[in-house]
Amino acid sequence: MRAYLRHPFWQAVGLFVLAYLVIVFVIPMLPGSAMVPSSVVLQYMATVLVGILIWVSDDEARWTTFKEPLHEVLIQPRLKLVRNGLLAAVTLVVGCLTYSQVKASVAAPPNLRSIHPAPPSQITFRGKTITLVGLENPLRKQGELAPHVAEGRRIYYQNCVPCHGDHLDGQGHFASGFNPLPANFQDNGTIAQLTESFVFWRIAKGGPGLPREGTPWNSAMPAWEDFLTEDEIWSVVLFLYDQTGWKPRTWEVTAK
Amino acid sequence: MAHVFALVQAAADSAAAYRDFPVIGSRAAIWIAAEIHLMFAAFVLGVPIFAVVAEAIGIFGKDQRYDRLAKEFTRLLLIAYSATAIWGAVFVFLLSTLYPRFWAYLTAIFGVSMWVYVSIFFFESFTLYLYYYGWDRWKQGRAKIVHWCLGILLNIWGTAVMFIADSWLTYMMTPPRDITPETSPASIKLWHAILNHTWMPINIHRLIGNVVFGGAIVGAYASYRFLAAKTDEERAHYDWMGYVGNFIAISALIVLPFAGYWLGREIYQYDQSMGITMMGGFMSWLWVIQAFLIAVLFLAGNYYLWVGMGRIPGAERFRPYTKWLLVVLVLGALVWGTPHTMIADSRELAAMGGSHHPLLGALGVMSAKNTAVNLMILSTFLSFLLYRRANIRQVVPWAKTGTRIQAAMFVIAAGVVLFFGIRGYFVEAIVRIGYSVYQVGAVLACIVFVTVIDVLMARGAQSLGAIQWGKMPPRSQYALFILAVTFTWLMGLMGFARSGIRQHWHVWQVMQDTTPYAATPALGYAAIMISTCVLIFLSLVGFIFWLGGLAEKSTFVPSTEAPHVGH
Amino acid sequence: MWATNLRIIGIVLGTLALYTLIANKIPQVQSEVPHALTLGANVTPEQLVAAGDQLYHGAGGCTACHGLGTRAPNLLTDEKGLGPIGARCGKREAGKDCKAYLYESLTSPRAYVVSGYEPIMPEMGRILSPQQIWALVAFLESQSGTVDVTASDIPAASGPAASAAPAASGGGGPGIAGGSTEPMTIIRGAGCTGCHKVGTEGGAIGPNLTHVGSRLSAALIRECILKPDTRVAKGYEKFVGVMPKMFGNQLTGAQLEALVQFLSSQK
Repeated sequence: MRAYLRHPFWQAVGLFVLAYLVIVFVIPMLPGSAMVPSSVVLQYMATVLVGILIWVSDDEARWTTFKEPLHEVLIQPRLKLVRNGLLAAVTLVVGCLTYSQVKASVAAPPNLRSIHPAPPSQITFRGKTITLVGLENPLRKQGELAPHVAEGRRIYYQNCVPCHGDHLDGQGHFASGFNPLPANFQDNGTIAQLTESFVFWRIAKGGPGLPREGTPWNSAMPAWEDFLTEDEIWSVVLFLYDQTGWKPRTWEVTAK
Repeated sequence: MAHVFALVQAAADSAAAYRDFPVIGSRAAIWIAAEIHLMFAAFVLGVPIFAVVAEAIGIFGKDQRYDRLAKEFTRLLLIAYSATAIWGAVFVFLLSTLYPRFWAYLTAIFGVSMWVYVSIFFFESFTLYLYYYGWDRWKQGRAKIVHWCLGILLNIWGTAVMFIADSWLTYMMTPPRDITPETSPASIKLWHAILNHTWMPINIHRLIGNVVFGGAIVGAYASYRFLAAKTDEERAHYDWMGYVGNFIAISALIVLPFAGYWLGREIYQYDQSMGITMMGGFMSWLWVIQAFLIAVLFLAGNYYLWVGMGRIPGAERFRPYTKWLLVVLVLGALVWGTPHTMIADSRELAAMGGSHHPLLGALGVMSAKNTAVNLMILSTFLSFLLYRRANIRQVVPWAKTGTRIQAAMFVIAAGVVLFFGIRGYFVEAIVRIGYSVYQVGAVLACIVFVTVIDVLMARGAQSLGAIQWGKMPPRSQYALFILAVTFTWLMGLMGFARSGIRQHWHVWQVMQDTTPYAATPALGYAAIMISTCVLIFLSLVGFIFWLGGLAEKSTFVPSTEAPHVGH
Repeated sequence: MWATNLRIIGIVLGTLALYTLIANKIPQVQSEVPHALTLGANVTPEQLVAAGDQLYHGAGGCTACHGLGTRAPNLLTDEKGLGPIGARCGKREAGKDCKAYLYESLTSPRAYVVSGYEPIMPEMGRILSPQQIWALVAFLESQSGTVDVTASDIPAASGPAASAAPAASGGGGPGIAGGSTEPMTIIRGAGCTGCHKVGTEGGAIGPNLTHVGSRLSAALIRECILKPDTRVAKGYEKFVGVMPKMFGNQLTGAQLEALVQFLSSQK
């Protein structure tokens, strides 16, 4: 047993299995975590495998001992059973992998949506051209913020709450019916990463205004420019940041 | 009726604007021609830098090996140089015949700079011939210095040529803002068009990239000769050459991200939507592939060093530490490669509550990536340091203190990187971007100071035995090959990123591409194109190397001098 | 020697193949040239059909249901011997020709639900512009039918006027649901079922109106429609302010009365 523990081959196998267990079972158990998607598991395991191979082969002596069991299994007469078993297992695994790759499945294919697609540099809002680059929320310069925020709150609860939810966390009543899920504004990956003009664009143009990389499953977000005025949208934007406590991304100040 | 005439006019215009290339189409034809021209050009610009530095070490360090190395590469340069010119001509002919209107537009603005380009190219060629054929004639004393100055002149010409060509392509990406589709090209001032937003960042980025690329190809050449070598002495020579190539490639690679960062920043400043297309839009997955390639580079480069420790007497003292460096590198590669938006099916999406993982998603953002890559750079530097130190024992009285100071510097640098990495999660984006500068600054400062201390400490050091050059297992040489292929592929990928963010524009928001190929292809198609180009390039380079071996067996001369304790 | 050469070639090809494979393994996104949908006065049916085709397979999101499984009729193929949608659209609803039927099924999809399917389709008028809706109608007609959408069907560009009354669905008349006084038409047209359940239709955000007549008098119902926040049903305090206050302006007097009478009769 101790000989096995000291042997680089078995150490490598052990490390590999341990990494798999950590990624697939331990990470999801951590507080606030969730299952790791299989694409990421594959990527992690490939990295770990390369790391292990580097470790076993960067020293001549270790590399030689590492290869011993492999070599023996392939040529030793007494290990014929193991050899045959291994060959059968490899064939079976390849077969199973091929089968799982080609078999028809009912699940929708994994999708790659760009969550923050590139905004146009300007948009047409009800026939008026608005330049998004460098645009700040105009309401921030119009007197007290509180009335604007209150107005934004009212509009949010009139229009947005069924999908984006009471807590602005994307868990509204209708949320579970959508793919993609409604944006979670509390998450540090949504409005916290964006300028207010980007948020304005997304509200004004909604799902139909998404560029191609926002597909394949298109967002159900309506184009709010048909329902709200420019100031109303800006006040909702103000409310979103005020309520979540995030700061909008600011434009870089050019030296000029 | 008016619009009918307009349509007829448009049809006539488009007939003259484009021609099609048979079978593979115009875009693929231009792509291959430009890409391979660029790879050869990078080689032809990178190797002279390499050769001049090697020659200088030969002159001032009085080490003949470096001089021979420089000459051997200049010989390859001669053949690669004509290949560059041939592919350049192919590129120009394809561009002017397939995209005549766009070509006319470019020449209207840049005509004068194109004439200058050609004349500098002419001077460059003759300087190269003088440099190579004069090598054995101007061998001694002052003549040697003059010869070395010729090498510097060669580099100046080469850099000038590259700067001019860069202005054309950066103009396509970021034309000055006052230029609109209505601006007549003849009215645009040449200097105004050259001095666009991304011109200087691209120049610097390419200059460093060329050194990396030259080093990597040199490494691949040496490893090929190593594997093919018949005698131990020959093997030792090419082992050493491979080490030098790898050293240059990796050390230049360490500064390359900073130039890339500057370029990316300028693109954001110029047009935010272009920046978002690049980093977050349809190209965002390109950066995950890039992360993968960079992880391969770091791991392969370190692997080569660690295997190389096997041939250094005294290196066994440091072997126990390399596995911890490996752990840091693998963890760094894991974080570095974690995507922010993950590919997941609907069940996994539901479990994660969106396409961001609630826990691992935190590793997908800029703070985590910068921290990971800076720690990887520090580990790689530490690998080099251990390698350098492997076969010497310092004799200076303050060696122990010096080592402690070095260790403290590493700890401080790593601490700064980690501190700002974690703090980056709690501040707004604009502040976070500034943090990466502190992280990079800490790492660079650590590298510079530790190197200075190390050089001082190594004065008069005792040798623990000569490095047994040539005692390398073949798998280390294959690692050099993987490095060269990966560098070349990475160059193709980054070229696609730079060129692809223009999307359906010849000149961003000034001149639209109206060919059937205007759409920017998906990554899979791009990868096939890149692989094709890399394959063509490597086959041609292989042929050139073979020619180089044919003309003259090798510059390797069995040495009679005592073995060196070289690095 | 050849063994070494082959091994090198193998390594180079293997590395290239690995990178190419990884890049092809991730979902592929191509950056298309944007096509602005400008359907002017001289738009041809072919342009409309082409634009509709793109919408159908792209931004409209139609293929998410139509064509996948049994959630919705497959529009592009033959269904139950009736032919593709262009062939069967005229025979669906009595008194509606193909164009009117398709326009209705896009803008108020619950007005007529093909038997065997659930009323799950969203009102596309909320998601797409009028031009886009007409382009889709043209595209659907082109599936084994004749395209008779013309530029005159399409309202002039959606300026402020068009966007001011976006809720106007159904035929052309003024007000909600084209001025109809049929209570369920008003209820659907005004979007009540977006939140309230009436009979078997509708959502669960607001109180269920199926038996509202047993709880509230006609006067109270009227008050609640005109000033939604004055009385809030128990358990719905969180949703104060959610119900729009503009129905008093949008409904005609006859419609309001028809609605009130209908609801108060729901015992």
